[in-house]
Amino acid sequence: MNNTLIDFVIVSITLLSIGIYGLAVKRNAIRMLFAIEIIINAANLNLISFARFLPHSSGQTLALFSIAIAAAEVAVGLALIIVAYRMYKNVDIAEFRSLKG
Amino acid sequence: MIEITSTPIVLIIVLGIAGVILPIISITRKNVSSKLYGAISLAVLISSILFVIYQLTSSAILSSFSEDVLTVDLLGDLFAISMLLVAIMTTVGSFDFIRKKSYSSIYFSLILLSTIGMVLVAYSTDLVMLFVAWELMSIPTYILAGFLKKNPSSNEAALKYFLFGALSSAIIIYGISITYGITGSTNISEVIRVFSTIDAEMLPLALLAVSMFIAGFGFKMGLVPFHMWLPDTYEGSPPTITALLAAGTKKAGFAAAIRIIIIGTIALNFDWTLALGIIAIMTMTIGNIAAIMQKNLTRMLAYSSIGHAGYILIGLATYPLSNIGLQGSLFHIINHAVMKCAAFIAVTGIIITIKTTYIDKIKGLGVRMPITALGLTISLLALAGVPPLNGFWSKLMLFGAALDAGSTYSWIYWLAIAGVLNSALSLAYYGWVIRKMYFEGDRTISIKEPKSIISVMIFSILFIVGVGVYPDLIIQFTEKIIFQLTMALN
Repeated sequence: MNNTLIDFVIVSITLLSIGIYGLAVKRNAIRMLFAIEIIINAANLNLISFARFLPHSSGQTLALFSIAIAAAEVAVGLALIIVAYRMYKNVDIAEFRSLKG
Repeated sequence: MIEITSTPIVLIIVLGIAGVILPIISITRKNVSSKLYGAISLAVLISSILFVIYQLTSSAILSSFSEDVLTVDLLGDLFAISMLLVAIMTTVGSFDFIRKKSYSSIYFSLILLSTIGMVLVAYSTDLVMLFVAWELMSIPTYILAGFLKKNPSSNEAALKYFLFGALSSAIIIYGISITYGITGSTNISEVIRVFSTIDAEMLPLALLAVSMFIAGFGFKMGLVPFHMWLPDTYEGSPPTITALLAAGTKKAGFAAAIRIIIIGTIALNFDWTLALGIIAIMTMTIGNIAAIMQKNLTRMLAYSSIGHAGYILIGLATYPLSNIGLQGSLFHIINHAVMKCAAFIAVTGIIITIKTTYIDKIKGLGVRMPITALGLTISLLALAGVPPLNGFWSKLMLFGAALDAGSTYSWIYWLAIAGVLNSALSLAYYGWVIRKMYFEGDRTISIKEPKSIISVMIFSILFIVGVGVYPDLIIQFTEKIIFQLTMALN
């Protein structure tokens, strides 16, 4: 394997762009949640690839923490989305209009 | 090496055990009154705050930065005390609000767990610890915001809060990954050491990392380009949780900002004053102008909370130029935590009794609920910065710092001018609420005020007036904090 650091960073930046595009364009709560997941995974890829090329490996520790925390976050988020779906029969956040100024 | 008896470790153990035990009690014993859970968490929180104060006076204070993941410094102690104070006020204020609702054990347990996160954010000196603490603070509040499951606005508030909160943590972890790639370490002191001698070709990446930190923490702080979720979430969440969000998690964002953004920007030797100054002016102006147009008391307070984030940012923007500014920021963080928490707990009292928060519906509240109305009035006046109250002194320090720093860059005078104009503007809409409560309405049927709300109101009135009359204690404490931070940086 002769991949260099820049290859991984390019993939990571691509993932970040896809995530930001998803957040900017989509209004479906589940799609937005997965766009956020893609950003977190882009960061994890960054951390792991930097840890591969740097003398310390503390980046891998952080990536493990980040994966576990993202799992907890998704669990809470999906629970919230399910409760909202039961109430609105819809997960489109543009349709949620009970609060406005 | 950090000791097992040091403040953050003991707080993790005590609050964590209490937070885990409360749901276990609710599973093993049926028909336990929600008062028991509230009393347990209140006892734990009060003993923790006493422990922090005891440690502060008796044991050694470590440096602001260490090789460990946690440190025990004055900045952390200040934030720990104010977060625990907010958690105590929220817990007491929830006694009557949560009484008729199910799952009260989970409610109090999540408040305790979120409090651990807020305290650890203030004490952490490592980016890994900071991120874990940040999530420990955020995830329980997502659930708490949607705690009223049958209420559509609570659901909507929680979902919006969750999406933006998750986005903010994703941006923060991306910023951390870039920082780690540049510096090869996650320890903040090491990061600062590498940042201060950074190559010119790496500088744009470092700037990108710091911008990502500003954006990520800015979501929680409610700075203006990132504030869209805030009014909806504050309005829809249960009002006690809004108090926790406005006074707790928002201030934890500032704790993280002071540790990372400010110090990172000084190390980068790049002038952020203009960027932070523009954000500060936009934040306070947009927050206050939007607050004028609101008909709902909760939403008005939410916009005013955005405005106050702008005032606090003045101190962060002027930090390298003027030490008074950061001192004023720290002072205003404590003051705003107590004032805003008191205002939202008063709103809780209004929701429990009158069931609405429209400003037109609270006519004559001064006669009907005298103590709640007095607490709300005092906290609104303090938020506006009326002289004998605590908000005046911290605003004076912030605007004074802007004038002081104006000798370096003359445009910084505009920060002081915008701040003073916005304070005057805010007095208009606070005064409108006070006028509705005291000078309008002829219904004089008095309403029984909940005891828990009365006790929070009395405490906050004493705090606001007491600190307003004798602010020296906290000002001297913030002076020591700045001294310690400056020593650690050199």
